[in-house]
Amino acid sequence: MRLIIRDDKSSVGAFTATYIAKRINEFKPTEDHPNFVLGLPTGSSPLPVYHKLIELYVRDKVSFKDVITFNMDEYVGIPKSHPESYHSFMFDNFFSKVDIDPKNAHILNGEADNLVEECEKYEELIESVGGIDLFLGGIGEDGHIAFNEPGSSLASRTRMKTLAYDTIVANARFFDNDIQKVPRMALTVGIATVMSAREVIILITGKHKAPALAKSIEEGMNHMWTVSAIQQHPWAMVVADEDATLELRVGTVRYFKSIESVQAEQELKYGNAALRPKQRSIHASSPRF
Amino acid sequence: MRVLKFTNCYLLQEDDSLKKGDLYVDIERGVIISGKELFFTAKEYPIEVIDLEEDILSPGLIDVQINGAYGVDFSLWPPINTENLPRDQQIAAYLAGLDKVSAKIVETGTTSFLPTIITQQQDLYRELIPLLGPRSSENSAHVLGYHAEGPFIAHSRKGAHAPPFLLTAPNGVSSIESVYDSQTTKLETPNTGIKLLTMAPDVEGVAESIGALAALPDVVISIGHSDATVELAAKSVRDGARFITHLFNAMPQLHHRDPGVIGLLGNQVQRPFYGLIVDGVHVHPNAVRLAYDAHPDGCILVTDAMPLMDPHLEDGIHDWRDGRRLLKQGPRLYLENTKTLAGSASSLDECIRNMTEFTNSPSYAKALSCATYHPAQLLQLSNKGNLRVGSDADLVVINRTTGEVKSTFIKGKCVYGN
Repeated sequence: MRLIIRDDKSSVGAFTATYIAKRINEFKPTEDHPNFVLGLPTGSSPLPVYHKLIELYVRDKVSFKDVITFNMDEYVGIPKSHPESYHSFMFDNFFSKVDIDPKNAHILNGEADNLVEECEKYEELIESVGGIDLFLGGIGEDGHIAFNEPGSSLASRTRMKTLAYDTIVANARFFDNDIQKVPRMALTVGIATVMSAREVIILITGKHKAPALAKSIEEGMNHMWTVSAIQQHPWAMVVADEDATLELRVGTVRYFKSIESVQAEQELKYGNAALRPKQRSIHASSPRF
Repeated sequence: MRVLKFTNCYLLQEDDSLKKGDLYVDIERGVIISGKELFFTAKEYPIEVIDLEEDILSPGLIDVQINGAYGVDFSLWPPINTENLPRDQQIAAYLAGLDKVSAKIVETGTTSFLPTIITQQQDLYRELIPLLGPRSSENSAHVLGYHAEGPFIAHSRKGAHAPPFLLTAPNGVSSIESVYDSQTTKLETPNTGIKLLTMAPDVEGVAESIGALAALPDVVISIGHSDATVELAAKSVRDGARFITHLFNAMPQLHHRDPGVIGLLGNQVQRPFYGLIVDGVHVHPNAVRLAYDAHPDGCILVTDAMPLMDPHLEDGIHDWRDGRRLLKQGPRLYLENTKTLAGSASSLDECIRNMTEFTNSPSYAKALSCATYHPAQLLQLSNKGNLRVGSDADLVVINRTTGEVKSTFIKGKCVYGN
């Protein structure tokens, strides 16, 4: 796992967006896997990434025309058109501003008649396009990824989840401060869905997420900090700002800062593709817990 | 579905603010659609994207009081130079005049209007009213119906209306219907044209009729050209009157013991909408501010424009009607050799710029609401005057720094500018 540390949230966004654009541009389509497949999150941490990706698109540095996306999660019980739906978030902050083909942008449908089937179909769809090349994620203060709250199985796949009371309370600010209006359920990809991606990038920014970062990378893998599952991923990267490193040991921070330049040198010498674990083997050996 | 997307623009919101965003229009149906629905449900792209470079995108302007423009007088029957022609040619000439205004007025950002007919000889109403039903010609502003100003108005507040034709309503509603009903149209029948009736509750028989008239589906009653006391005016509002015609003009000045019609702006419960001619002449900027500050949500900008309203017309003496002539001096129009103001020659976009200046507004948003959302509310039109999904794509692009109209769209089609 790599840990990249940048000064602030917007530098984290710029680094990550540039990295993703590079991956999209380097992608070599094959018959079984003709499109670059990107997993995407909602929330405040990824916003700077979306801003920068839009900027790169406007400057003709990247195109999403052939990119397929899968979002992590969506509420159950509010329409797509609701301003707080994740469909709205993605449309307003990203999809409406780039050249992605609407047919290639997938988000779980929280309005589906059969929610179990919706989740199963989502996994099948991901499989059918050749799996996810790069999954971008953020985390909550308790280290949860997507709606996989503490205690979620690290081997979980896409499914329905009942939201924790704390999450409902935290979300009430988006629903007129009325707990009754906050959705109580969501559809979410599982930890194993994320970890099956060939590459995983987790954004962690802000002082309030410092304990989660420390718990997730300095301690053992633990279902109470679900993002800690990245410790088992062969090609994962955490991008954090300085504030988020406050609870890490000085040694940890120094170590990762020192190897960042080494990694860059090696990439320059061998090219990124040569350093990356072989795609097929990763996908076949998706985490076994 | 063929969709046009406006991007990089400030959209007028219903709370008088501007919000950066995109707007999607289905150009086949001419209505505003949800971009999100297009993306997630239809899974389609817009076929055209227009970058508005940070200008304002507003619903098209709605003028509820306009007597004529571009040399056309809506109140003149038979139309000019058709006195000796057969009736069907007179009708054709009148409709051609209406279409001429509809086609040209889009340059002022106006996409809907109510041709306003001032007091007429009684039998002429039967000729004019059947011609003033809702009308939408291609590439032109919509005629929503008509506004009849008079003949049930007070002699003492006649303004430029012809005194011999003013009427009272001794038999109440039936006196009033006998003027406005024609062979083919009736006040009580929806969609035949009637939208707004300006009348004076102090004229015999009017006050008693307001309740019944206001209950008709398409009729909005406006108080105007009136010497009504504040009590009488307030009673008229309780009975259903919802508008004041050109506030401050053709009504007594505000007196603190009896504030009259103007005093309705201080009403405790229902405050009516009110029209303001913000041409800088009819109402002093301070009076504009007083009215607006008292009741911002009721303010509706009207041009009260005369046939001489034409942004391309020069100052000087011009023929009007019945052998009378008007003097045009900039935005001012006087009956020749008098100081009597005879309507205005300002366009609605000019009024918006004036209003923004007079009220020291930081943007054009508040003034735009007074010419879009407010008049639509007055006329109870839910599909015009706003940018909601499902509303008609009658739109105007306004330069964010100068307030000039850059382009106008009717039903999603560009009809002015580019």
